[in-house]
Amino acid sequence: MENARHDEDWKTCFAQLGPALLLFARRWTNCRADAEDIVQEAFVRFWRRQHSIENRALLYAAVRSAALDRLRSDQRRSRREAAVALDGADHFEPQFTTVDEGQQLLAAAVERLPDEQREVVILKIWNELTFAGIASILEISQNTAASRYRYALGALKKILQPHE
Amino acid sequence: MNDFSELEAELKQLRPAPARDELFARIERILVQPEAAPTAGVLPRPSRRPGLWWPLGLGLAGATALVLLGLGFFAEPQTERTVAQNPASPSVSPTSGLQASTLRQVVYRQRDEGLVFSPNQSERLLRRVRYDTRETMQWRNPQTGASLRVSYPAEQVVLTPVSFQ
Repeated sequence: MENARHDEDWKTCFAQLGPALLLFARRWTNCRADAEDIVQEAFVRFWRRQHSIENRALLYAAVRSAALDRLRSDQRRSRREAAVALDGADHFEPQFTTVDEGQQLLAAAVERLPDEQREVVILKIWNELTFAGIASILEISQNTAASRYRYALGALKKILQPHE
Repeated sequence: MNDFSELEAELKQLRPAPARDELFARIERILVQPEAAPTAGVLPRPSRRPGLWWPLGLGLAGATALVLLGLGFFAEPQTERTVAQNPASPSVSPTSGLQASTLRQVVYRQRDEGLVFSPNQSERLLRRVRYDTRETMQWRNPQTGASLRVSYPAEQVVLTPVSFQ
């Protein structure tokens, strides 16, 4: 597939994968602009290297490494904090498109999950990755990925219980 | 089926917020025109200097060649070649044997540039660390006290393979 890609193909791929990539990038930042920068960097690098878009684990690994690179930079961190301080609204920007109150509650519950659990849910639910793929991206074991997923779903159920 | 199948189905109905048109436009600009790659303005783009390596490498190679030539020249007193001598210190003979006395490398800046893809094995991740150094070599003639010192800036990039477990 990769060799036959056309200039416009990336738009189709990004329209499909971009939202979940941004959601994943939010794991490391509450700032939308930062998440967009991370995703932009990773996606462009991935696309230029002509990787198969089927290899989503590699794409997510690229997002993760880009995010960690940025986190490691003290200078960037301070700039990011300054930017977040100036644009506090980014903190509360919804990460999901919801259509009813039930989905709003569910989205809020997902955002309340611990980061480690939320990222596994994001990769599993909205990217349909296997636990093996998730494990390679997050540099954890498959068992850890699976148990985090189970804990996350358990926590979601618990959070949603009073509203059911 | 498991206890969470209903919850999983509900989660799959939830759609992540779509990417903004501005992000599409930015990516398009980069893919079409690599040099015009703006970010959201919060984070600086990593600098890419692909054209710097050849001149830098050639410069270092040239400096090394000069040093080696100089060493060979001074280490062969039987040759008939002459060099310019400082008239103020006629007692220092450049043809006398110089001995290497100092080799010093000072690292004055170290930058961890994070993970990068290997240029050869595109799926291989490497950690790239860049060192800015100043290397100084000195030769000294123990009899005459004459010395020769060469100092030049250098940049080293160290790539360490990173593996996922």
